[in-house]
Amino acid sequence: MNTRLAEKLLVKLADYNNATSLIYGIGNVGRQDDGLGWAFIDWLEEESICPKAELMRHYQLHLEDADLISYKKQILFVDATKALDVESFQLEKMEAKMDFSFSSHAISIPSIMAICQQCFDKVPVVRLLTIKGYEWELQLGLTEKAKQNLLSATDFFRQQEY
Amino acid sequence: MGRKIIIDPVSKIEGHGKVVVQMDDNNQVTDAKLHVVEFRGFEKFIQGHPYWEAPMLLQRICGICFVSHHLCGAKALDDMVGVGYSTDTPMLATPEKVRRFGHYMQQLQSHVTAYFYCLVPDMLFGMDAAPQQRNVVGLVEADPELVKRVVALRKWGQEGIKSVLGKRMHGINSVPGGVNQNLSQAARDRMVNGEEGLISLEQVIDYAQDGVKIFKDFHEKNRTEVDAFAEVPALNMCLVNEKGNVDYYHGTMRIVDKDKKIVKELDYHDYLDHFSEATEEWSYMKFPFLKEFGREAGAVRVGPLARVNVTKAYEDNCPLANAALEEFHAYTKGKANDMTLHTIWARAIEILHSAEQIKVLLNDPDLQKEQLIMTPTDNAWTGEGIGVVEAPRGTLLHHYRANKEGNITFANLVVATTQNNTVMNRTVRSVADCYLGGKEQVEITEGLMNAIEVGIRAYDPCLSCATHAMGQMPLILTVLDADGNKIAEKIR
Repeated sequence: MNTRLAEKLLVKLADYNNATSLIYGIGNVGRQDDGLGWAFIDWLEEESICPKAELMRHYQLHLEDADLISYKKQILFVDATKALDVESFQLEKMEAKMDFSFSSHAISIPSIMAICQQCFDKVPVVRLLTIKGYEWELQLGLTEKAKQNLLSATDFFRQQEY
Repeated sequence: MGRKIIIDPVSKIEGHGKVVVQMDDNNQVTDAKLHVVEFRGFEKFIQGHPYWEAPMLLQRICGICFVSHHLCGAKALDDMVGVGYSTDTPMLATPEKVRRFGHYMQQLQSHVTAYFYCLVPDMLFGMDAAPQQRNVVGLVEADPELVKRVVALRKWGQEGIKSVLGKRMHGINSVPGGVNQNLSQAARDRMVNGEEGLISLEQVIDYAQDGVKIFKDFHEKNRTEVDAFAEVPALNMCLVNEKGNVDYYHGTMRIVDKDKKIVKELDYHDYLDHFSEATEEWSYMKFPFLKEFGREAGAVRVGPLARVNVTKAYEDNCPLANAALEEFHAYTKGKANDMTLHTIWARAIEILHSAEQIKVLLNDPDLQKEQLIMTPTDNAWTGEGIGVVEAPRGTLLHHYRANKEGNITFANLVVATTQNNTVMNRTVRSVADCYLGGKEQVEITEGLMNAIEVGIRAYDPCLSCATHAMGQMPLILTVLDADGNKIAEKIR
């Protein structure tokens, strides 16, 4: 778990409780642990955390998200990850970068930021919370291990007093 | 000893696929195949679910043409409950127009995605440019103002979808016999007038003309290469109305030959009587064909190029699209256009057509009326339904059967990419012939890999839809001899 890294970033969800912030869950609840991003947004809503922030759920990023983030000062993306080096969850600050990952159906966060910078002359502060998932088949519901990782992530923010 | 070349997988299209080119001992291409090796089986997955869930669940096959899947399923459900075109209880005007509105909005944003994100970079930077430049990110660096217009156009299309389907992706609007909401006056006004961060209808019409302009400029400078690139024959098919003009939501299936002579016109409910599907062990994607003409001669092309070949004109209230269409028709002097890269031109024309059709609907007060559902008569339940629409990539069919409890027992989806399967394979063969045929030394060049990609991408295939799966794909090119031995390989 990369709690230490998250602490280093000094992120509190309370910092996002304003209209200039966006918390954006990426994923697909119909594909098991790919629903982790949305589940985090569900938790925010259930606990009434960050009611003033704009909360979004989407399956993947698209080019027009460069326009969307251009209206915000800070964004927290939340996504599931398969990364081997993530034990439970990870929080990282993102930098704008054209990484040529684009397909007709999705685009990366650094590319979205770079396009925002290039087209709209705005560079919001972007962080990415990734939560480890394990199964991605066509099925509703998180696996038990993924639920545990979600709990670890939400506990981390609780300990930060949101 | 013959040789075989494999490109696996192909980039900037959805799904998993690879290309195999077989060569003989005389350095001639003997065969070329687009393999689709991903499978997930939505048709099986849906069985046992209540019939009314089908349009909601099956739209999740795709993140791009989900409205088409939703509407196609809804039309099949209309059949099942006994409402709509094939019954004595016709659909009301408002729900049909609301469905069309969502459909045209999706076509606009889907075509804009394929055209500007994936095809324009090929045109602006050239097929030989590095993949790192030849994409929308390269386009952002080269022409940020154009990208801003494209982003605005896509955003407007997605907001339009959201205004009737509730969400910009995988929303729900159609229900058996109608829709669950109209287009509110406020939403209509917002789409017409725009607001901060959202362009107006007038700007949409303006921006929608960019595509045709870019293609014409590219074509003017590269006429020989564009016209000669993979000119492959095929029958052309799309839904048409009683005037013989394309209707993206409903009509009869019309198939025309190279002279635009109608070789078959059928009620889509009779699809199975006229079409068969061949299978190959090397691909999960089937090969539909008209039984009467056999597997090769009966293969049809669907999608933008097929539609502009079949349609005689557009509606009178779409003057810009009509002018563009006339120019397209004149280019081949009334004959069907088989030039693969002219699919890009056709798609640009359809961007304009979608925008003008949306304009017509935004000025139609029927979309704000309250009568949204037609209740079927007693005992109207048929338990079986077929829906067909013109999805952005071409003719899409959903066929369901349900038992007396209302649970799905059978589902068959024939998607546009599957319809185009044979024609796409012909395109790959044509490109391979051009780059490899008769050359003593087989070299897997970037140019060859790019050209094969460009040829396939012209169809904007969604291999995920075609195999009823979800996923993405990355490019390997392998050369095998006639005995299947690998003699070269390149990975992108």
